Amino acid sequence: MRHFLITLLLVLFMPSAQAELAVIAHIKNNIGVLSAKQVQDIFMGRTRNFPNGRFALPIDQSSPLRAEFYQKLTGRPVEQVNAYWARIMFTGQASPPQQLPDDEAVLQTVRENEGAIGYINQIRVDKTVRVLLLIN
Amino acid sequence: MKYIVLFITAFQLFGVTTAFADDNHLDFAVTGFGTLGVSGTDTDQLAFRRDTKQTPGVTDSWGFDTDSRLGLQVDMDISQSWHATAQWVARNNTGDFFEQNLDWAFLRWRPADDLDIRVGRMGFDVFMLSEYRNVGYAYLWTRSPHEFYAGIPIYHFDGADIAKKFAVGEGTMTVKAFGGYSFIQVPIANSSNIAERGLTVAGAKLAYEIGDWNARIAYSYVLNNIELAPLQTLLDGLNSAGVNAIWPSAQSLSQQIATQNKALHYSSIGLAYDDGIWLAQMEASYTDTDLLTYPSVASSYLSAGRRFGKVTLYSLLGISETLNNRPKLSNPIVSVSAVNALRNTIDQLSNSSGVDEKSVSLGLRWDVMEHIALKTQWSHYWLGNNGTALWLKPASGPTPDTVNVWSVGVDFMF
Repeated sequence: MRHFLITLLLVLFMPSAQAELAVIAHIKNNIGVLSAKQVQDIFMGRTRNFPNGRFALPIDQSSPLRAEFYQKLTGRPVEQVNAYWARIMFTGQASPPQQLPDDEAVLQTVRENEGAIGYINQIRVDKTVRVLLLIN
Repeated sequence: MKYIVLFITAFQLFGVTTAFADDNHLDFAVTGFGTLGVSGTDTDQLAFRRDTKQTPGVTDSWGFDTDSRLGLQVDMDISQSWHATAQWVARNNTGDFFEQNLDWAFLRWRPADDLDIRVGRMGFDVFMLSEYRNVGYAYLWTRSPHEFYAGIPIYHFDGADIAKKFAVGEGTMTVKAFGGYSFIQVPIANSSNIAERGLTVAGAKLAYEIGDWNARIAYSYVLNNIELAPLQTLLDGLNSAGVNAIWPSAQSLSQQIATQNKALHYSSIGLAYDDGIWLAQMEASYTDTDLLTYPSVASSYLSAGRRFGKVTLYSLLGISETLNNRPKLSNPIVSVSAVNALRNTIDQLSNSSGVDEKSVSLGLRWDVMEHIALKTQWSHYWLGNNGTALWLKPASGPTPDTVNVWSVGVDFMF
């Protein structure tokens, strides 16, 4: 709930922090690049695997970046993405990706998990992770 | 019941130890959803209800319990391929408050990314929304379209299902088959009496999702295994030699009225479109039965909406028509009051089982905050002669031809 309130305050008082987003994976993930549709399929729970068949663990954010990520990736507002997940979750099909609070937490988890896939502000990308897709 | 025990045991074994294991990996999650809604109509001659599992419905004295509900779900990852889910939804629902409201309690095995096998209690996947009718947050309208969904008292069944996904072109095809047993408790007219049904259910669906489009075609079969207890006295009367001597058609009527070993066949198609701004959805179904008390019915709805930022405006058209002609009741050879009373009962029964309903609705969904949506809807219903089976009638008196229903509510999830 506290995260939710902080998110709300950020959304209300810090609007349009438009960033270029980077979809990142573990440095040893040799998958190359992914298309926007492939990233969408992983984050919307349509597949649980990378195109090469390896298990994918999508990492979401609870920060304001989340709304921007889904708007840019799917062309839909985050409320619609939430409604979509409500249907998938409450019909027992799948659970949504776990959410981490910020870029730093996502970076940390992606560094530690070979199957992880997350998104962060592109300016936070460093040499410890691999970039799979850039989203404007 | 055995599934519930299985779940409690499973949670004790795994849940407690994994709940604190690792913040970064949620093995055990409690989520939920709910609606707080109020609705009312402009008549006291007919009560509106969400579906035929509910009493007493709302009239021009408004009420909360038609649409208000609170659902809790527990999810547990047992391993990468095993998962358990249980969902219980407190709501106005006839019958045992715990058992009838437990809609999901299953164990899922996912041996491959595109294959799901589930055993336990699961939602009845007969039409597009039937598995999540209670989750208002997940759809646009105040409630699932009345003409299409109000006549289905089955929310869940105990059994198994198997679903396989295929990549077809740019889209995903899902094939699903299910089967099992459903025990349901339904209200008898406006009384506080309850009838029980034991149903064998089976079905299959084919769904295709591509880009902004979603299509499905489905068939479900329901067989009633036990006679409705309240009908038994009537059936005994119709089958008695004395009654048949005075009223020769009695016995053939008893065969039409009997519900035991009678089957229902649901066939449906559905199509949904959503491009982020515009959205539209339609379904059409035909329910085939040879039951006097639940005659064959054709239903359809069409909805279109447009998003303006966080506000979505929508319209909804619905229609449902009973197709069977009511039986013509012959008169007894000799007028005997007991037999006349029997005939009247059957007349009333067949007069109250038809659906002849059309409606137009306008509504608004406003996503005020993440996970909270405010909704309001106005529906105008046209009801034909003997066409109010989805509603609740007073004991006597005429029923109106048109009814307005207004609703305001808030849907949320957590």
